[in-house]
Amino acid sequence: MNLGLYLHFPFCKSKCHYCDFNSYPLKNDDQVLSYISALYKEIAMYAQKLNHSTIKTIYLGGGTPTMLSGDLIYNILNFCKDNFKIDDNAEITIEANPGTLDKKKLERLNKAKINRISLGAQSFNDSLLKKLGRIHTAQDIIDSYSKAREAGFNNINMDIMFALPDQTFIDFKNTMKKAVSLKPDHLSLYNLTIEEGTKFLESYKEGKLNLPTEDEEYDMYSWAIKFLAENNFEHYEISNFARPFKRSIHNQIYWYNQPYLGIGAGAYSFIKGYRYMNYKDPVRYIKEINNGKLPLDSGEKLSLRKRMSETIILGLRTKDGINYRKFKVRFKVNIEKLFNQQIYKLINLGLLRKDNYKIQLTKKGLFLANNVFREFVD
Amino acid sequence: MLKDYHCNINHIRNFSIIAHIDHGKSTIADRLLEYTGTIPEREKKEQILDDMDLERERGITIKSKAVRLYYHSKDGKEYILNLIDTPGHVDFYYEVSRSLAACEGALLIIDASQGVQAQTLSNIHLAVKNNLKIIPIINKIDLANANPEKVIQELKNIPELKEEKVILASAKEGIGTSDIFEAIVNRIPPPSGKPNLPLRALIFDSVYNSYKGTIVYIKMVDGIIKPGMVIQTMSTKKNYEVTEIGIFRPKMQPIKTLTAGEVGYLIAGFKNIKDIRVGDTITDTVNPAQKILSGYKKVTPLVFCSIYPIDNKEYENLKIALEKLKLNDSSIFSEPETSQALGFGFRCGFLGLLHMEIVQERLEREYNINLIATAPSVMYKITKKNGGIIEISNPTAFPSKMEIEKIEEPYVKASIITPSQYIGVIMDLVQEKRGFFKNMEYIDEKIAKLDYDLPLNEIILDFFDKLKSRSSGYASLDYELKGYQVAELVKVDILVNHEFVDALSFIVHKVKAYQQARKIVEKLKEIIPRQLYEVPIQASIEQKVIARETIKALKKDVLAKCYGGDITRKRKLLEKQKAGKKRMKKIGRVEIPQEAFLGILKID
Repeated sequence: MNLGLYLHFPFCKSKCHYCDFNSYPLKNDDQVLSYISALYKEIAMYAQKLNHSTIKTIYLGGGTPTMLSGDLIYNILNFCKDNFKIDDNAEITIEANPGTLDKKKLERLNKAKINRISLGAQSFNDSLLKKLGRIHTAQDIIDSYSKAREAGFNNINMDIMFALPDQTFIDFKNTMKKAVSLKPDHLSLYNLTIEEGTKFLESYKEGKLNLPTEDEEYDMYSWAIKFLAENNFEHYEISNFARPFKRSIHNQIYWYNQPYLGIGAGAYSFIKGYRYMNYKDPVRYIKEINNGKLPLDSGEKLSLRKRMSETIILGLRTKDGINYRKFKVRFKVNIEKLFNQQIYKLINLGLLRKDNYKIQLTKKGLFLANNVFREFVD
Repeated sequence: MLKDYHCNINHIRNFSIIAHIDHGKSTIADRLLEYTGTIPEREKKEQILDDMDLERERGITIKSKAVRLYYHSKDGKEYILNLIDTPGHVDFYYEVSRSLAACEGALLIIDASQGVQAQTLSNIHLAVKNNLKIIPIINKIDLANANPEKVIQELKNIPELKEEKVILASAKEGIGTSDIFEAIVNRIPPPSGKPNLPLRALIFDSVYNSYKGTIVYIKMVDGIIKPGMVIQTMSTKKNYEVTEIGIFRPKMQPIKTLTAGEVGYLIAGFKNIKDIRVGDTITDTVNPAQKILSGYKKVTPLVFCSIYPIDNKEYENLKIALEKLKLNDSSIFSEPETSQALGFGFRCGFLGLLHMEIVQERLEREYNINLIATAPSVMYKITKKNGGIIEISNPTAFPSKMEIEKIEEPYVKASIITPSQYIGVIMDLVQEKRGFFKNMEYIDEKIAKLDYDLPLNEIILDFFDKLKSRSSGYASLDYELKGYQVAELVKVDILVNHEFVDALSFIVHKVKAYQQARKIVEKLKEIIPRQLYEVPIQASIEQKVIARETIKALKKDVLAKCYGGDITRKRKLLEKQKAGKKRMKKIGRVEIPQEAFLGILKID
């Protein structure tokens, strides 16, 4: 079995106002050490179970994993290599926040065979960065990016957000132009959403968040799609754009609904039709591990119907769409027959397109994808 | 104390308590019950007579009750006091009047800080009409902002009360309770009936009990009643055998006979609560009385709306729940109805707005049914060109203009009592509501009473809320039906995506049609979410569009992020959204949220 491996580091210097990820402001170094030792133990627990699997990709996410020292990151990945069978050409990504990379650390990351960096840029406008609660400046992004290039990294992603409070169309264009001028290999472009438990939600409820309208969001997103196409980026997933041969292999595992193992607090795994989640709270997570138990909080065995549903809604996020043959090989049913009604309804609405091999979103469908997805869930 | 003795009519006092909402009627009743040991201290709940949760929450009494108290007076004699509790709201005017007809006296409770209200005056008039002796009681004198002197002055200005001695009380603190008892005994006359005349008993209420069936509340006017007698309801001319009679202490307590002057209950195998009409007279079939007691009226609903279950599967439950409520409340009218937009439901009639709200709330709360109620309407009389006359309350039944000769709408006589500084704003409000000024008088130098004739359909929407908000809560309103007057009314239809939505039609005065239509299309534009295509919303009269708004097509609706940890969450979110869409009503291709049908009520 081929697997993606996700490692979660749930700490940050401070919490951004929009962030609902499983991350906590770091209080002291002991926290890090007891967390990392738990992480080691969890890796070891899976070593036996996965001795027939090959890890194709590794993704260190967070939080801010680059808060860790270069040596620690190096050791964690080495420990993975000692316990798992990892493909020689594995894509190994680390999320990095601008300002957390220096030459020495980058060299260690290189040594650890990390070959892809995902830089949380978000915006090149300092005042918007501040509003988001980011603790770096536009210049920090440029500096970190250049250092990574100098250190030899040839696969760098930038995360950019849009539809931010008080953001204008012009401002967004400037950010995009700046990002593209740096020639990243990959861009993830996220529409800001106001999530539960965030500072933004509080401000939103108080009516203090001046968000762009739906029409403005539409304008920003559609302009970006066009702009990135002109700059030779392939729009291969709703929010993701890649230069040739630079798609994120790890993330494609998610979109193709393939198996992955998540290690660390709050990490999700999807193996053999089960989806399960570790305890979110790092303290609880550490406690379970130290009691010699897998830190599983909850999980479900997905029914065939749900697996098909998820495969469709994930697959339709991608440019590749859903291939009839692959779907049939996987689920032993014909998607055109099973969802005949839904497919034709969506084609008539102009949201879906089909050819001899696949179904995929139309351009209109891309903007209204939830209306497509809802047809395929129960 | 619980004696079942044959009583002397001169030792009976029948009285009720009348008051504006919140002036402390129920608390006074509680004190009277405790003082006479009718309810032991340890069994008491606050406000004993209001036993429906809703009554306690809203501070009003919906169904009247009758309780017998035994009181040892300072004159050394023992008296039977029957406290007949009345509903405290104008919607229940008729029920109140029948309860009062069972009494010889009334305690008039007035809040020491709020003073005389519009309803206080109408209560006084009602009591006087029923020849009741009124005992004014100023309650809550213990409150910091109490001003009993001022209230006494207000009372002295009311001609009917000029001579009456006022009792100062605080039911909460138990102040004045014995004065009240002595006043009941000494100032209220005993009943005037004769035990040796043929039986005449006034029905003043009825309730349904699943074990005993229909229980009828009666005031014995003349004669005697015993189990085994065959009786007749004089207006409906139906015969029944009496199976049980008794009194309320406050629980039901069977006794052997009820004699002229007494108050109690009667069970006689009534099949249906509809056989029993409040205000009707019961007599003996063997020795029948000749004359029916006066004042009987068939109650007719004033306010109408349609009620639909949000989930169509709940229709049967709604039907059962309505039947059950009607068992206890014969004034609710309902008949099945079908709407293209809302499916199967009921057209219902109520005594007033409050009555309507209470019924809706009970259906939702006690029977757990989520409802859509359409905008309230009144009963219009339409004379057609062919000479036919129809009565309609439902806009869908409104005939086309071509067929209509004239339309009449119900008017009420409304009195508003207000501190004088609000007279201006209230006059403006009544003007907006098409009211006709009739009279104004000052109750004292700072409080005025304004009399108006107002169309009922203007009152049932938001008149009361507006009156309260414009007068900082000080003005009070009381009204009773006056009759019908010719009016220029039109029906406004609403079209969503060119489809007519029957449940959104409304009847309105011609002059206000455009303004109202505009507000409603704007409101619908707000409530109906963007769809995949542009959706026009139009209001029209006789197929002519008078207002239009357009809901722009949905442009962007897409989840930005979806990675490993998001998948389950996002699937569940989509499932939830889908379920939400299923709960919407589909009109043609357009999904309309439930609140669109409710929202029309809340138009300002």
